[in-house]
Amino acid sequence: MADVCRVGSLLRTLLPSFLFAFLAAVLPFPAPAQTAETPTGLTFRSNVNEVRISFSTTDRQDRVVASLRPSDFAIVDEDHVVRDFRSFTLSDYTRLDVVLLVDASDSLQPHLKQEISNVLHVIGQSTGVPEDSFSVVSFRGLKPKVLCQGNCRALDLGAQFPAVSAGGTTPLYDSIVFSARMLGQTHDIHTRKILVVFSDGADTISLASLNDAIDSTLHADAAIYSVDFSKAPHYGQGTATLRHLAATSGGRYFTAEAGADLVLNAILEDFHATYTVAYKLPSSAVGFHLLRILPTHDLGLQFHCRRGYYFPNQY
Amino acid sequence: MKHSLLLVFLLCTASISLSQDRSRQEGTITRMRMTDCIAAQHPLMDALSGNRGVMMSAELCPEYVLVTNSVVYVIVGKGSDQLVPLAETTFFRMQHNELLIRIDDAKHESRFRVKQMLLRPEWERGQQIMEAAASTTLRQQVDGVVLVNARQ
Repeated sequence: MADVCRVGSLLRTLLPSFLFAFLAAVLPFPAPAQTAETPTGLTFRSNVNEVRISFSTTDRQDRVVASLRPSDFAIVDEDHVVRDFRSFTLSDYTRLDVVLLVDASDSLQPHLKQEISNVLHVIGQSTGVPEDSFSVVSFRGLKPKVLCQGNCRALDLGAQFPAVSAGGTTPLYDSIVFSARMLGQTHDIHTRKILVVFSDGADTISLASLNDAIDSTLHADAAIYSVDFSKAPHYGQGTATLRHLAATSGGRYFTAEAGADLVLNAILEDFHATYTVAYKLPSSAVGFHLLRILPTHDLGLQFHCRRGYYFPNQY
Repeated sequence: MKHSLLLVFLLCTASISLSQDRSRQEGTITRMRMTDCIAAQHPLMDALSGNRGVMMSAELCPEYVLVTNSVVYVIVGKGSDQLVPLAETTFFRMQHNELLIRIDDAKHESRFRVKQMLLRPEWERGQQIMEAAASTTLRQQVDGVVLVNARQ
């Protein structure tokens, strides 16, 4: 399980190998701590003591840092500062799975259609990704709608984009949950899952909350790249929501003025320069472990990583 | 005359830097979290307003646990953006009940309020107790899951 920030685990050999094989076959994901009771009443317990995180790094000018060293950063797991890493490597992603989530409400439509066209145009010309999958989902009214799934390079937005009607509602959070589930269907650890949200950050009708949207994104191991279509200078609640979504999932935030090229370049740069670090679980505290990566020397470095993980793994 | 003044100046500078080096200590930051900021204390104003002790503000400030050979300091920044590089070794000095950390990039030292000071053995015992409690909770939770699964 992993994408932008991967929290995995390795099982310590406290179990007989046959029991471990049995558990591995039964469990959907390797869990941090598992116990099994045999018919004879004996209890076998295995402990997981490794955390794996994937992250990308940018400098003061928002450029991707491709030559990061393990001595350049420390991880704050819950409140423990971790500097001793078991491994540190460039992530071995070979595939990109992207869902473009488009706010199709009346206020955004004219400008947005052009932006999505630009994104798809750039995607059509991109050659930097070995394998890719691009889907487009729009939302307006009560629920999201899949415009195309898998290969949207040839999508005709003029024909597919939903018609505009004044006063439409915007189920942003529900749509993020929906899209995250789409991305979560892929369990390949070599696939980087990206959700690009084109929106003004406003939600008027969702059943899901902002936290639900974030949790579903973390569960899918997806990163949100949000593109802010709210009115400049982007100080409102919607902007804060979009920034929060990007920050907590390990993605990035852009204003609409930045342009489609910049967003796509950032996605591709991160794809090629994502690091994976593994370290010993610093605390057995049950619950959500907040994560933060901070520099050890250069305070200008920004680390993009998911907000945290559950221990023991609840998924 | 000029030469003697220059000599005096150099001697003073050297002695000041020597005394600063002597007062400089080193430690390692082992914990970091965001917590309530400690507002500046004004005894007279506190007395007039009826407040006693530490006042908290709504802002969140970084709190660090700085471990030295013998003493463990819990320090709190004065603002939310007062971040310290988490290098293996942090150089600091004490001045007027504040802890001053030199940051490479910054031209001045960063000042932190000292929230707590503990002897290192005492702090380590506390950490062991906390980790043992966390492990017990985890074991109980896992055992609970096993019991539920077994009943099903």
